[in-house]
Amino acid sequence: MSRPLLSRLRRPDQPALLVPAILGGLFVCYSALPFVAFVSRTGIDNVVAGLSTPAARVAVRNSLLTAPVATLVATVFGVPLAYVLARGSFPGKRVIELLVVLPLVVPPVVGGAMLLTAVGQFTPIGAAAAAAGVPLTDSLLGVVLAQTFVAGPFVVITSRAGFAAVDRRFEQASRSLGYGPLATVWNVSLPLARGAIIAGIMLTFARALGEFGATLMVAYNPRTMPTQIWVAFIGGGIDAIIPLGVALLSVAVVVLAVIQRFGRVPPVIEW
Amino acid sequence: MILELDGLGHRYDTEQAVDTVSFGIADGELLGLLGPSGCGKTTIVQAIAGHLQPTAGRVRLRGTDVTTDPPESRHVAVVFQQSTLFDHMTVADNVAYGLAADAGTVADFLDLVSLTDQQSAYPAELSGGQQRRAELARALSTDPDVLLLDEPLSALDRALRTEIRAEIGRLQRETGVTTLFVTHDQSDAMALADRLVVMDNGAVAGVGEPRTLYASPPTPFVADFLGRSTTLQATVSDQQPLTLRVDDTRLGFDARRTALPTGTPVTCYLRPSDLRLQPSPELPSLPCEPVDVVDAGRHYDVTVALDTGERLLVESQTQPPVGTATQVGIPQATMSIFPADEGAANDQ
Repeated sequence: MSRPLLSRLRRPDQPALLVPAILGGLFVCYSALPFVAFVSRTGIDNVVAGLSTPAARVAVRNSLLTAPVATLVATVFGVPLAYVLARGSFPGKRVIELLVVLPLVVPPVVGGAMLLTAVGQFTPIGAAAAAAGVPLTDSLLGVVLAQTFVAGPFVVITSRAGFAAVDRRFEQASRSLGYGPLATVWNVSLPLARGAIIAGIMLTFARALGEFGATLMVAYNPRTMPTQIWVAFIGGGIDAIIPLGVALLSVAVVVLAVIQRFGRVPPVIEW
Repeated sequence: MILELDGLGHRYDTEQAVDTVSFGIADGELLGLLGPSGCGKTTIVQAIAGHLQPTAGRVRLRGTDVTTDPPESRHVAVVFQQSTLFDHMTVADNVAYGLAADAGTVADFLDLVSLTDQQSAYPAELSGGQQRRAELARALSTDPDVLLLDEPLSALDRALRTEIRAEIGRLQRETGVTTLFVTHDQSDAMALADRLVVMDNGAVAGVGEPRTLYASPPTPFVADFLGRSTTLQATVSDQQPLTLRVDDTRLGFDARRTALPTGTPVTCYLRPSDLRLQPSPELPSLPCEPVDVVDAGRHYDVTVALDTGERLLVESQTQPPVGTATQVGIPQATMSIFPADEGAANDQ
């Protein structure tokens, strides 16, 4: 009996796949090597002990305070934007799409510098906020601003592709069943695009948690896990950063597991 | 009239998709909107449902102009070609989603389409036929003034198509819901519709009862599109009774007359199933020669060449020998005659 078509296609000895498989294999090795080397440098005891130091605990607390807020802000404003971009047709749409992608392309440290020019303490906005007792730099709010700027595009891009993959006729059916535009988005579009939206939210969270470059510029203090890793590295070398590094790595693994289980990254992101 | 379209038109950029379309649907009627792909049928459905703002004309429901009203306030239900059951809801939840306050219960509508046992199933767990029935139940549960069925059978295989077609007819009879049935398939339209609107290239080409349109098509397009047809070029040589000249042969149709002047070139649309090889002597006939025979199962599709070189398609119950001279008889009752230039304009 012949083997099923797909398993035949996946045979590693397929001549047609041999060359790309070798090249791709090298890529996988290069990607995996640092993870293996990094994790193998330490045991679980060292990680727990390292995370128990006061500085590490403050950094973990700050990161766990700011990254969810940045994710929430990006989601609350980004998902509606994603829907508008997926469904709307209006002048300037292309410019907005480029603006959304730009923070992903701009080096984070440059993004942080740009944020400083907009909301730094010597700018009108920054000065007014500081005078009102809510400083936008060197504060947890500053961290949130930096994280939102850099990580926000993930939820917009992924959700946009998710909404675009929902056939308009589902929304038309809902409208003809008596529901208005907002109720239709809530009852039909969001649930049908939920896989992509969940993926976008998780990617944004992971990116916000690991955000370093822009945060360094906008809010070097209070320390988050990535900025604390930098401080620890300067003071104690590579071994000093392993506990926080492993912690961030663990979060990334959990995020990917959640995306695998509940989320769906659309195979094609149209721009 | 429950629904009236008055001079409806729609233009996509430079393309005129629908041009000055007017027709109405009476209360409880099942109207078939029939035409080839791309003739503007779906644009009309979208305009009636409120998912598209027509660039010209009005849509009236129960006498009220609803042209600019949003879909949710129109009481018009739509069943699309592809399933639009919500994947994240069970069958019962899908039906409950649109359930009108005084329309009945979810159980009533599931019972109506024999899906009571599948009420807890998700759409992905249903067969293609069950999905169609669930969609019909969901659409009917809104107690709509008009039910729009936009090519509801196109995505189904032949057996399922017949089953769901019968189901649509039954549901329409039992509920009495005013229905617009959109299709490109003339057999579906003929089987279901009380009345047909035939569309051609964005405009109405004919309106009437299916049998009347089939027997007396108002335009060459309707004659060609509604049922199989084959064409014969001729010239009017007498008006009363109608006499046509094909090459040197005169065909007399004593029960027919025409207003077309003598000498007018005409195109005759003939039904292949009505043409006869080796006809009885009283039938007007032309000499011909079978040049191709295809076994179509229930009959043979015989292509015959006339002395003029023109070819006719004949459905024959027997298999004639190719290349042997014979006669093809032309019954006058089901022949439609149009001026030749009119027929040519519709030859696409």
